Amino acid sequence: MLTAPPSNADEAIASLLADPSLARLITAHREFEPRGPRHAPWPPGLDSRIVEALRGRRIEAPYTHQAAAYSAANGRRNVVVVTPTASGKTLCYNLPVLDAVAKNGAARALYLFPTKALAADQLVELRALADAADLGLKTHTYDGDTPANVRSVVRSAGQVVITNPDMLHAAILPHHTKWFKLLENLEYVVIDELHTYRGLFGSHVANVIRRLRRICRHYGADPVFICASATIANPRELAERILDAPVELIDDNGAPSGRKHVVIVNPPVVNAQLGIRSSSLLTGQGIAERLIRNGVQTIAFARSRTAVEILTTYLREALPAPPGHPSPIQGYRGGYLPNERRTIEAGLRDGRIRGVVATNALELGIDIGGLDAAISVGYPGTIASTWQQMGRSGRRASTSLSVMVASSAPIDQFLATHPEYFFDSSPEHGRINPDNLHLLLDHLKASAFELPVPAAERFGLDETPMLLDVLEEDGFLRRAGDDRYYWSQENFPASAFSLRSAAQENVIIIDTTGDRPRVIGEVDLFAAPMLVHEQAIYMHAARQFHVDRLDWDERKAYVRAVDVDYYTDADLGVTLKVLDAFEELHGTDGALRAHGEVMVAWHATLFKKIKLHTHENIGWGPITLPEQQMHTTGAWIVPPKAIVERFGRETLDGALIGWARVARSAAALLLMCDARDIGVLAQAQAPHTLRPTLFLYDAVPGGVGLAERLHELHPDLIGACARMVRDCPCMDGCPSCVGPVAEVGVDGKATCGELLAALA
Amino acid sequence: MRTLNERLANVRAEHVARPPQRPSDEDRLNRLARWFDARMDVTQNGTVLVVERSVAASEATVQALAQLSPAAYFDTETTGLSTGAGTVIFLAGVARVSAGRIRVCQYLLPDYPYEPALLRALTADLATASRIVTYNGRTFDLPMLAARLTFHGLFHDQATLPRTHDDLLPDARRLFRRPLGGARLADVEIGVLGVRRSSDCPGSEVPARYFGYLRGGSPDILADVLDHNFQDVVSLVLLEAELWRLRAGGWRNAMVLDPRGMALELLRAGAVDDALELVETAQAVTSDPAEATALRRVASRLLIALGQVDRAEQLWTLGTRRASVDAAGAWIEVARIRERHRGDLAGAMAAAAAASRVLDIAFALGRGGSIQEVGRTRIAVERRLRRLRRWVAAAERRAIREARHRRVA
Repeated sequence: MLTAPPSNADEAIASLLADPSLARLITAHREFEPRGPRHAPWPPGLDSRIVEALRGRRIEAPYTHQAAAYSAANGRRNVVVVTPTASGKTLCYNLPVLDAVAKNGAARALYLFPTKALAADQLVELRALADAADLGLKTHTYDGDTPANVRSVVRSAGQVVITNPDMLHAAILPHHTKWFKLLENLEYVVIDELHTYRGLFGSHVANVIRRLRRICRHYGADPVFICASATIANPRELAERILDAPVELIDDNGAPSGRKHVVIVNPPVVNAQLGIRSSSLLTGQGIAERLIRNGVQTIAFARSRTAVEILTTYLREALPAPPGHPSPIQGYRGGYLPNERRTIEAGLRDGRIRGVVATNALELGIDIGGLDAAISVGYPGTIASTWQQMGRSGRRASTSLSVMVASSAPIDQFLATHPEYFFDSSPEHGRINPDNLHLLLDHLKASAFELPVPAAERFGLDETPMLLDVLEEDGFLRRAGDDRYYWSQENFPASAFSLRSAAQENVIIIDTTGDRPRVIGEVDLFAAPMLVHEQAIYMHAARQFHVDRLDWDERKAYVRAVDVDYYTDADLGVTLKVLDAFEELHGTDGALRAHGEVMVAWHATLFKKIKLHTHENIGWGPITLPEQQMHTTGAWIVPPKAIVERFGRETLDGALIGWARVARSAAALLLMCDARDIGVLAQAQAPHTLRPTLFLYDAVPGGVGLAERLHELHPDLIGACARMVRDCPCMDGCPSCVGPVAEVGVDGKATCGELLAALA
Repeated sequence: MRTLNERLANVRAEHVARPPQRPSDEDRLNRLARWFDARMDVTQNGTVLVVERSVAASEATVQALAQLSPAAYFDTETTGLSTGAGTVIFLAGVARVSAGRIRVCQYLLPDYPYEPALLRALTADLATASRIVTYNGRTFDLPMLAARLTFHGLFHDQATLPRTHDDLLPDARRLFRRPLGGARLADVEIGVLGVRRSSDCPGSEVPARYFGYLRGGSPDILADVLDHNFQDVVSLVLLEAELWRLRAGGWRNAMVLDPRGMALELLRAGAVDDALELVETAQAVTSDPAEATALRRVASRLLIALGQVDRAEQLWTLGTRRASVDAAGAWIEVARIRERHRGDLAGAMAAAAAASRVLDIAFALGRGGSIQEVGRTRIAVERRLRRLRRWVAAAERRAIREARHRRVA
């Protein structure tokens, strides 16, 4: 029972770390010394009302990075600020923006956040500061939730308009004549959470920025861009790629921080022969439970929605609320409705909620203040997001704790056994490819609708004139006598595509348990076949729902509350077709490596019922849903004939499965990207090559260039795979390298090693 | 399936091999002008094509419009329905009445680069009128024009547009939608103005026709569009004249008219007696009980506005004789009038109680009508009773308080 008042978090953390039962699982422990603040004087010329308002909040002087950001922006230089969570990053852009508005009421700024929730938070913060400074600032969010009568006011009078790239793409830019007051006087564009704009989404956003800049030029405006990002390896490069302009980097953090412990925990081995470790979920739960019981406000991150729900359920069972009180443990993930999320965020701030289990929705800088402890159950996929999750714990004065619990996945085990890689290597690169042709053509169409394109203009690629001709040939554009290309269709190009392909359409989940149906959440179309296929157990707010019916055409899943002792897990079947090879390098004896365009199709085919707690398989059923397709870029490798012919079909199958598994991890490490950005498929008899083939492909339509880079890095890729297989201490394969024996066969690991040796 | 890269390679090859073959702009412009016998105005922004046509106006139309300030009747044809920045006005019709004729100037866009010239000439034309008259222009044509002027930075021209704008759609909706079953300009033309279009180009086809022309089609495919636009602005003139006639007493012998809508107009214009006459006549001839009740409600409002509360109450008491759901509804109205306009709480209570009783009887006799209807009336009755009880209780409390006050004093 959680009735005792919170005790001293410092002591609770110290006693946990000293506990021998945990200590033997810790593979790395770093302690970060407390750091004092470094201040700079108020920049000369900064509006005195703003200075007074900040003094009123007991901010006597700005931190060094805040002052640096102000002077760069004020000097009309684009800037990207990279400092940790809770270091006063928002002031870096609010300072120059409010100053500009204070000095010139006609000045305008546009804020872009990746989500509506973040935009709503920023609105509150910006208003509070502007009101304290008595600036009479007119600001509002502009998104799907903005009421129609407010919209026209925001368009004409909003001095700071807070929105997201999707709205900019589909609502603001195509209707720019309604927004000319904003665009004509646009002095600043703020892009927060810049690191989220990578991969396909980032490539889209870069094109939206290209379109924004074209229109700003049309109205004679030349805004300065202020970006803020979590720690990634190449913030400046990413910003310059997105903005297509020089950007100044500010990463000298002047904010103070308390003492912080960062530990990596590897759950104990329970079966050495099979290389099976105890579950990271259970280990993480144990740590969280103990911390919360001792009054340490804790956030735990799990990798999937299902894991969030399971962990929430376990923690609630272990830490029941006093009768009549809401549980102090809350789940938090993407599928929750906005008001549910708001309640949880408020509960975290005022301390009514003692523990929260989240997917990475909370990883983004939602301002809930610092907590005492953060636990990442499983490696979140990238070093950057791990540090960001860890940044969720951290107090200005007292001690905080961050724990990463390794799962049995290969990357997790690699990091648990090579912690220096985690602590010392640079985090991932944010990679985008704005010149992906599929994307570029879509945005060129949208841009031509917004403003005719002169034949000599360059939109991203030097080959723009050729693209314009392609679009003219297809009847989208028409070249007029003034040598400009005009949109020449009735419809509206920006409405034809979304910046987030996966989130294009959601499946709505309808609870039919009560007397009237009720919408309880939604899942995106990509995840729907896995999560809400018929007979699935869908978990929401730690309650189980049985999916009675999935109406695929209407995008609706009808569910009913149930109480069962199992959950479901769907199997995904993937097929791949090569459309076009850009380069094929033939080696001796039939060996081949190549890259090109591929069509990937996936299809959920069956699901398993898995018993809670024991995780044993207790049944299965078929899934009948349409196939989904993606056109992307891929790289493929065929081993030499001689080595392949030495093995039987079954042995070879196992080895290929194992190779695919390590290749994905190795590729993610080599490219410093999330393993989920790379798809992998091994075929014993690939239709294209008619040989055993391993395919690695970009897991986004059109690709962002990962496959091509892997093709170039071939020797490194094979080398990394070989090391991962060789250095794993297991005998015949385990989940941390090629996979368990049950999947790869008795000779799987050895055969995989031989394949790799032959390729090296 | 051809991949994008193959296509690009092809385009690349063609790009070098084939310099674009396009008919010269001037040839196309001249051909278009000749085809429609258009005037070519050369301005500093470029050439503007204006097609001028006129049609005789009837004596009645001329007389009616002579009572109003001179207007420009305005309608546009665009390349799409979205008001986004890529949609343009390619044809704008402006009609005026002068010397017994309806004279129409149609500004036709030969190609996109000529847009600024067209917009400036069009705005200058509109600016000479004291007001603009449109059909659905408040949400479409005028915002569209504003968007195009903004697009080209023609803010000065925008400022010269007449301030007064009369959109006839709301009037037409109020007066004709119910009897006609719709209030598109086409509905009004057939049902009210007696206009028969011989051939017409459906609005949905209009953008495709223009794109067809731009891609090298014959100017002939635009002929129907020009006719369509011409008829639209001519109909606007006729409609405004007809509306004026209706308001000036024509409502007494109008064939197609919604009496409720017209009564509201008359009421707004201060002609309460006329409005009452209209509804009472309509009520006498209608065969639809729902319509009769609706008309009675309008009449009751009108009488109350005239201060004739007794007559308003009578209007309803007449309908309470037979035990029916309608009678219960009538009693509710009586209760309302007594409460609001007479300050007679006791009388209102009695009427509301009667409503409740009548409803019970009607239900028992099976004269209830549909279950929903009875249910709705039942809810209305109960709500009013509850309200009245609250009012009565409050009035009693007030009386007691005041009495005590007096004693103290």
